[in-house]
Amino acid sequence: MQSSDYLALFTTLKMAGLTTVILLIIGTPLAWFLSKMTHKFKVVIEAVIALPLVLPPTVLGFYLLIAFSPQYLPGQLWQQVTGQQLAFSFSAIVIGSVLYSLPFVVQPLQKAFEQLGDSLLDAAASLGASRLDQFFSIVVPLTKSSFITAASLGFAHTVGEFGIILMIGGNIPGETRVLSIALFDHVEAFNYAQAHILAISLLIASMVLLSSIYLLNMPKKRR
Amino acid sequence: MKYLKLNFTLNFDNFNIKINQDLKLNGITGIYGHSGSGKSTLLRIISGLEKNIQGEVNFYNKCLSNNSTNHFIRPENRQISLVFQDSRLFPHLSVYENLNFAASRCKNSQLKIDDVIHLTNLNELINKSVTQLSSGQKQRVALARAILSEPKLLLLDEPLSALDQKSKKTLLAAIIKIQNQLNLPILYVSHALDELQQICDDILVMSQGEIINYGSIHHVIHQLNQPIDTLSKTLSGEENHTHLSLQQTSLSLAIKTNDNGRNFAELSLGDEQCILLPKDRIPCGKVSDDILTNEGNKKTNTSLKQSQNLRCFILAQDISICLTEPLNSSIVNLLYGNITDIKQIGHTVLVSVVCEKQIFFVNISTYSQQKLSIIVNQKVYLQFKASAVRTYLY
Repeated sequence: MQSSDYLALFTTLKMAGLTTVILLIIGTPLAWFLSKMTHKFKVVIEAVIALPLVLPPTVLGFYLLIAFSPQYLPGQLWQQVTGQQLAFSFSAIVIGSVLYSLPFVVQPLQKAFEQLGDSLLDAAASLGASRLDQFFSIVVPLTKSSFITAASLGFAHTVGEFGIILMIGGNIPGETRVLSIALFDHVEAFNYAQAHILAISLLIASMVLLSSIYLLNMPKKRR
Repeated sequence: MKYLKLNFTLNFDNFNIKINQDLKLNGITGIYGHSGSGKSTLLRIISGLEKNIQGEVNFYNKCLSNNSTNHFIRPENRQISLVFQDSRLFPHLSVYENLNFAASRCKNSQLKIDDVIHLTNLNELINKSVTQLSSGQKQRVALARAILSEPKLLLLDEPLSALDQKSKKTLLAAIIKIQNQLNLPILYVSHALDELQQICDDILVMSQGEIINYGSIHHVIHQLNQPIDTLSKTLSGEENHTHLSLQQTSLSLAIKTNDNGRNFAELSLGDEQCILLPKDRIPCGKVSDDILTNEGNKKTNTSLKQSQNLRCFILAQDISICLTEPLNSSIVNLLYGNITDIKQIGHTVLVSVVCEKQIFFVNISTYSQQKLSIIVNQKVYLQFKASAVRTYLY
């Protein structure tokens, strides 16, 4: 691999790692809230979260690019607070990745919380466990595999992003140039050997990650 | 006397619960009613798991919930433990870890886990995964876990309903033992009247979300024998309360002797009469083996002894009436009493007979009543087999 590819790898891992942490911090309470929500408005929130599953990445990327530009409020606010432009920055591709990968974290967690139900939590409450205590003592251990699945899918999906990053991040080495963009560059330059190395590396890494998830989630008896 | 004061309504889409009752927190209070009468919902309200009530709940003069002042104490802060019908043990924890879950969250704990393990006879199970346990074992662990949270009130929601006879007997013994030794007030929900008759001091009867009767266990059971016209008329659309239970005489009598030499135990009925029952129905050594004091010290106790009371019941259909003393009969129990009431219930007649100040209920056919021509204040003999004297699970 070329040194620019290593830099792209580092940028990719940094972006995916940070995105995954943010996704878990945001996605867990959101999934919990949705799992307990009974109001009809729930379906609207679920649809909004699931939009990236069906929307072309370029559509989301286009609207985010507009929103992040200094002419619009989100971009203006960001610039006022940080003194830097949001569009075509590392922060922009992290925010974009969080929005784009949100359903991959929220949906498995929401399903796990719904399946767990309230019965064990009622028992824990009557034994003196506070709500936070119930979450960390009962919910997290019993939905551990869903947390692993959510984090892994969020991470893997972020690593594989292309369209949205190209739209809002461009191709700035060390800032927004991630592996998928580097691969695209190599193909455009007819440098297929380098493209192969990146492509096969991403393919193998994705296979290993997915296999690990399935292995971890396999019932103990069958292992 | 400490009270649990309940005054609230709770409305669901197709069911309403409306309660206005002060409950004495003394010993074990049974909550009885058919399925869907609101028993379990009542426990969930008391424990704080149902929040949206209109009204208030007070416990030991402390307000737990009052919608008019927006006051609500969360379940974890109520010091009220609930044992569910389905145990609800935490599957990712071992038996010991389940017990420790409760113990470690109890502030100022007085009980030691080992003492409670001994009390509930869980010594051999503590390292097992809860998924390996039988239903009876799970309920014993759930009971031990609830005790270790050291509640001021223990709520049991049909804890025996999913168990086999042997497990029922073991768990029932454990509940009696716990109540005796820890002096812990218990509300015990069941739709099995014989189960409640065996362990409860008081009972409240629920139907269609309302309390229709509350009082001492024997008194209420005897009232359940009566047709609706003599009972509360709060029920609508029900012809008769007696569908809730079989008509019976509920007794708590002193044990005169555990074995009279003829394989019978004798229970004293007043000064002159006695009731015989098979001696193996005296639950010696089954109710309580040890006493655990509040300080956690153990001392030996010999369960039910002579002079202690035995709870038993006799179904009204198992007693017969004779106008003259039957001298040549294989039936061993023969009592002499005075008819105080005769009530026609459908095609049968419920006769109330007082023997030594104890009321007995006898169910006979209309034909028998006409044949004997019995009337109120008439002296009669009652006959029933020793085997008709039932204790719980026998």
